Amino acid sequence: MYLISPEGHAQPLSIGASPRPYTLQGLRIGFLDNAKAPVDKMMLHIEAKLKQKYPGTETYTASKMAASRGIDSKILKSLRDHCDVVINALGD
Amino acid sequence: MLVSTSFTALAHHQANTLGMPALPIVVLPHPLGGTPLDTVLAKVDAVFDEIIHKLTSPLILKAQQIPEISRKRVDIHCSDEWTDLQHELIQRGWGDGLPLVPPTEARVVAMVHGSGLTANDIVAVIAPRMGVATVELIATNAVMAGCKPQHMPLLMAAVQAITEPQFNLYGCQATTHCVSPLLIVNGPLANTFNIHSGSGCFGPGPWDNGVVGRAIRLILINIGGAAPGEIDKATMGHPGKFSYCIAENEANSPWPSLSEQRGFAKGISTVTVVGGEAPHNINEHEATTSGGLLTTICGSMAQTGQNNVYYHGEPLLVLSPEHAATIANDGLTKEEVQRMIYDDARIPITRFGRETIERRLYRRLGYRYKNRHITPDTLVSIAQRWEDVMIIVAGGAGKHSMYVPTFGATRSVTRAILKKDGSPWQPKDFAK
Repeated sequence: MYLISPEGHAQPLSIGASPRPYTLQGLRIGFLDNAKAPVDKMMLHIEAKLKQKYPGTETYTASKMAASRGIDSKILKSLRDHCDVVINALGD
Repeated sequence: MLVSTSFTALAHHQANTLGMPALPIVVLPHPLGGTPLDTVLAKVDAVFDEIIHKLTSPLILKAQQIPEISRKRVDIHCSDEWTDLQHELIQRGWGDGLPLVPPTEARVVAMVHGSGLTANDIVAVIAPRMGVATVELIATNAVMAGCKPQHMPLLMAAVQAITEPQFNLYGCQATTHCVSPLLIVNGPLANTFNIHSGSGCFGPGPWDNGVVGRAIRLILINIGGAAPGEIDKATMGHPGKFSYCIAENEANSPWPSLSEQRGFAKGISTVTVVGGEAPHNINEHEATTSGGLLTTICGSMAQTGQNNVYYHGEPLLVLSPEHAATIANDGLTKEEVQRMIYDDARIPITRFGRETIERRLYRRLGYRYKNRHITPDTLVSIAQRWEDVMIIVAGGAGKHSMYVPTFGATRSVTRAILKKDGSPWQPKDFAK
């Protein structure tokens, strides 16, 4: 029996990845709170540990308004403008 | 990216779909939410070195995995045409757990014919897989659900509505919330499509509400990639995720329909998609006045634990014809009812847990309150504005209405059911 597959597929996409730094020393590190508990506290904790490990590190934190919506373009731009690397979170 | 174990598959899926399969991901043991903070921070400490390593190590570049599965003809050999075939279809991940109508070429061609378009026409792109929904793919899923070719215009309009940005399908598909798109059909085509608006409209029954709603779910699974449990992370789900489709009972409503309220002319058929939870019954047999009835209704709608409190939302009230008549007999318009519900369906803040007040209401919803000052006497609303309270009339005889809380992080969308040339489909177009 021949059947038609009901599955759809995406158009191919490719996002170029930025080169990875060899150290975080001297970099501006960003944190994106995805609005799910307890990500904000996790990010604060990571921030504190990174500042301890890399004295003088600049950090920048942004928050989504709602976990279930995509990131606002202004917040995305602010992360791009203020950070060299960003740590974010997905899900619960 | 940090994820917990339960969301690892979703994270990899999304990284691949969005064109960055090599995105560095650090996994922590689930759960994190609702876990004592010291336990959460211990989990973070355990992966701290890995976070640094992944931020500073060269990416292992991978090609995006896009299987060429569109328009694929599959040769299935089964010794038992029914049992084995159904098992094969489920094994392929094509279904919702219920028996499927085999999508043979003949059935799919007939279904495509009902659309008025060609098989390769693209209707939408469906998150989170970003699957390209051609007419043929929608038709294939419609066949599997048990739809008829005449349902295609409704299905295509619904798919387009669901994929409009304000609906936030991406959020609806991958959330732990139970949200499912509820289709509300207005206009003369409701009869043509056999979408029931009366007694038992939410199911079950010998009308086409079930198959049309089911087709939408299969489309979301098979084209959108929302495999239950793996990508669709609903903690509970609800029966509406099998099928969720009704028509508004316009003949027995004292007010303009939802469609007319949204600016569509009478006689134009529309479909509205609402990201809804399961409906909650409101039993009110004693009230003979609008005041008495709305007191019970507002009490039912003013619940903690619903997303309409936490996010912008459009809580939906489905009034039975008899309840609507009781209210309208006191001279109230639908708008007046919306305003009354907005004002009165409020929850004393003291009914929320301490952690929810501190983290959700104080921290995230301070903007909701004009003076941003929340006190123990504060009442928490279920909508941002009175216009966000949606009301329709549906159902049959009896004094039961329904409250459908929504996902909150979604806005309903209403689309006219149109042909390719932009003119509205009419019942005469389907006359045999």
